[in-house]
Amino acid sequence: MVEFERGSVSRKTMEIVTALLTAGAGLAICYGSWRSGIGWSDMGPEAGYFPFYIGVLVILGSLVTLVRSAFFYQHDGEIFLDSKRARPVLGFFLPVGAFIVVSLLLGLYVGTALYIFGSMKWQGGYRWWVSALAALAVTALFYLVFEIGFQVPLLKGPIEGWLGIY
Amino acid sequence: MLKQITLAMLATIAAAPALAFEPARPVEFVVTSGPGGGTDNFARTVQSIISKHKLMDASIVVTNKGGGSGAEGFVYAAGHKGDPYKLTFGTNNEYLLPSVAAVPYKAEDLTPVAALALDEFLVWVNGESKVDDIKAFVAAAKAEPKAIQFGGSQSKDTDQILVSTIADATGAEFRYIPFKSGGEAAVQLAGGHIDANVNNPNENRGQWQAGMVKPLCVFRPDRFPKSEPVHDGKGWNDIPTCAEAGLAIDSYRMPRTVWLPAGVDEAAVAFYRDVLKKVSETQEWSDYVAKTSQTSQFMAGDDFKAYQTGDRENVRKVLKREGWLVE
Amino acid sequence: MGNFGYLMDGFATVITTHHIVIMVIGVMLGILVGVLPGLGAPNGVSLLLPLTFTMDPISAIILLSCMYWGALFGGSTTSILFNIPGEPSSVATTFDGYPMARNGQATRALTLAFMSAGIGALAGVVMITLLSTWVARFALQFSSPEFFAVYFLAFASFIGMGANAPAKTLVTMMLGFALATVGMDTISGGLRLTFGIPDLIKGVSFLVAVMGLFGIGELLLTTEEGLRFDGIKARVRAVDVLKALKEMPRYGWSILRSTLIGIWMGITPAGPTAASFMSYGLARRFAKDKSQFGKGDPRGIVSPETADHSAGTSALLPMLALGVPGSATAAVMMGGLMIWGMTPGPMLFIERPDFVWGLIASMYLGNVVAVLLVLTTVPLYASILRVPFSIVGPVIVAIIFSGAYQIANSTFDMWLVLGFGVLGYLFKKLDYPIAPLVLAMVLGDKAEDAFRQSMLMSNGSLTIFWSNPLVGGIMALGLLMLAWPVVAKAVGLRGIRRGSATTHSAKL
Repeated sequence: MVEFERGSVSRKTMEIVTALLTAGAGLAICYGSWRSGIGWSDMGPEAGYFPFYIGVLVILGSLVTLVRSAFFYQHDGEIFLDSKRARPVLGFFLPVGAFIVVSLLLGLYVGTALYIFGSMKWQGGYRWWVSALAALAVTALFYLVFEIGFQVPLLKGPIEGWLGIY
Repeated sequence: MLKQITLAMLATIAAAPALAFEPARPVEFVVTSGPGGGTDNFARTVQSIISKHKLMDASIVVTNKGGGSGAEGFVYAAGHKGDPYKLTFGTNNEYLLPSVAAVPYKAEDLTPVAALALDEFLVWVNGESKVDDIKAFVAAAKAEPKAIQFGGSQSKDTDQILVSTIADATGAEFRYIPFKSGGEAAVQLAGGHIDANVNNPNENRGQWQAGMVKPLCVFRPDRFPKSEPVHDGKGWNDIPTCAEAGLAIDSYRMPRTVWLPAGVDEAAVAFYRDVLKKVSETQEWSDYVAKTSQTSQFMAGDDFKAYQTGDRENVRKVLKREGWLVE
Repeated sequence: MGNFGYLMDGFATVITTHHIVIMVIGVMLGILVGVLPGLGAPNGVSLLLPLTFTMDPISAIILLSCMYWGALFGGSTTSILFNIPGEPSSVATTFDGYPMARNGQATRALTLAFMSAGIGALAGVVMITLLSTWVARFALQFSSPEFFAVYFLAFASFIGMGANAPAKTLVTMMLGFALATVGMDTISGGLRLTFGIPDLIKGVSFLVAVMGLFGIGELLLTTEEGLRFDGIKARVRAVDVLKALKEMPRYGWSILRSTLIGIWMGITPAGPTAASFMSYGLARRFAKDKSQFGKGDPRGIVSPETADHSAGTSALLPMLALGVPGSATAAVMMGGLMIWGMTPGPMLFIERPDFVWGLIASMYLGNVVAVLLVLTTVPLYASILRVPFSIVGPVIVAIIFSGAYQIANSTFDMWLVLGFGVLGYLFKKLDYPIAPLVLAMVLGDKAEDAFRQSMLMSNGSLTIFWSNPLVGGIMALGLLMLAWPVVAKAVGLRGIRRGSATTHSAKL
């Protein structure tokens, strides 16, 4: 076995985790289709017939991957992600999560503006006024294109309400 | 006297908000079909008439939510309880869907505003079919049970319910093949892959013009009004009603309906009802109805409620018989 | 030849300043909706529809159809630059288009894509001009068994045997099928795999999955590799456009083959998405040197683009001649036709030849206008990649999530995109192929519907798939494609030698 530095995940672990994940999805598919009937009636296959076997195949495929990863593994010693590389990934991923949460609370326009401002300021290292200007410009462009131009409404929050924009 | 004055005052108080409701922001037209579907054309026609005649000051945003046979749109509207800015367009699927599928809304989650038109149903066969009237068609079906293939749009929806009703009324047995839309059923019939369909006039008009399909009868209480001939000198008026041609179903039609979420003010309902009433009185509306061979019929309030109750009962009978009812 | 005379009349109607201006406006609006992943051609066209009520029908249809062409081009642009397909039919373009752009050849990739798209579109129009009546009759022969056979063929030609990790390919493909079944089932009228979640009754939108798997997944990989977009320092020069144009003749065979596939799939009508996948699959299968596929092989861009656009244009023929919309966009246009007082269907060619041939003439011109417009703007698009990633990245993220929201005004979809993003990242790092998932998701429910309709027609007998020469022929072709690597080995054809058969979909 290869010693990993602390804080890193081996590829083998991730292979197993992913295989378990897809197997779980397969089980869910089987259960869901079983509820809609999995037989073959005189009207041809029932609603759950195909999805059920699809679920079975997902489970089978996952099991093969699982066994291969656990016992006959070719990528031994490969690292999936270490802490050094995890940082930029999380640095990208977490703000995206925050962006969604903020957008749900305050609307997509405010969310977009804050997210772009934040990313440019703290990740891009731009000066605050450059970031703010860019954020406002992008948001305004979104508003013009979506709301005015194509009349597709984006999610709005309380701030738009105060400003009287619906 | 005093009683009358009190009543009048109460009425004024009750009426005051009714006069007061006026949309203060854009109204969303929720369309329970995909772009290009029958309900979509209905909603967009209403939209264009409202903006052309300036029947409403607020602007209109149309969104298509046709997923799950329209359930997507109704669930969306049901989720906006009390919001007078979500006007939802549909057919009788609003109260039909909850009876046949485990959709996450109830018919009562929406408030009926009005119905504007009734769409008709006809029995169509391939243009080269030897069958020329509904009696011969039924006889052919009886001769060979389950041999005649009826195509239609969706499953357990208006088309299949009608086919089941025909089967019940005549004792014939059919095979029903669901397609994604009436348009697909129309082409399958024109290509001779299925034997018949029960499409709305608009869905088969083009094929009839070319003689690729022909109508046998219409499920209207009376014939279509006189119009230009469509094919071979025959127009809509020449199609017999099914009852007169010997199929004992007096009427089977589909309303074009408009809804608001439950819990909205009576004032808002009244406002949209008036707007829609005005829409139904315009020339553009008559043109749309004539072009699509529907019947303009404005129903609101108790009329509409009574219609719904009747329609629901008829439909539920079929659903129960077929074992499709979901409680 | 009557058609030719009509066409000349059509050109006479269309070549006016007024109509050319309308074309340019339509194409530009179309590119805009095509570039923004949440909008797409059907939305754009339905939005413009009310505007056209007051126009004369010919101008109106020119505006709408040009918007459609523009949207098709716009969809390819984002596929190549950001790995985010703007339209389902441009997914296959990402497989080689995006890698080529990443190698610093964005201009070349875009030019090849646009040019082959233009050729494909023109081929489609020529076919409509010459064969309209015959093709319309041919399309009527297609019923559910034939549709199933065509989808089967599309699958078989894309998914070869001998992938790197068959178990993984199986898993992703089956997940794609499962995702396609979520929501309302057409045949039984019941809900499937919704697990009581209201947001799932509308099904899982293909675009949501693609934006997550491709868009967010790719961004996660990009940040991990520390590769910023500003790593692409290639200069953007107008000369590169000309250079790429010059190499076009080299792909003559690919283009010809893809055109035929596109036209065939357009009129049957299995649609542009199936066409582009099938064309990509065949290009890879018949290539002597497969090593560059998935890494930026030009044939991997030219083939799907040509097929996509020739199918897209040919698909308008069923709409005009039969009154069947071949796509969502065509459905909206058909709604428009009715509002303008016309009935799409076989009689339209006879009753309103001025309109039909005006439209066909505008398809020639509109596509030429579109190609010219996009080609001249290639340097502009390509230079977007030179903007630092810390600006472009967040903007792409914001566009993806507003797009996800717009598809169905659903906040649930935003979380789904994020989930698919993580999945896409995992799959890519662990060598799970994503393309089979996408293909299964696009065609899966259609194939299933067609299969079950066939079963209803035949009373549950599988022999319906061999019941006439047409369906039997397509099925046989599909089986041949599926077994191709084995067959080729047996016959001893070149190109399928030891080892090379394992490259399939491994890098996708």
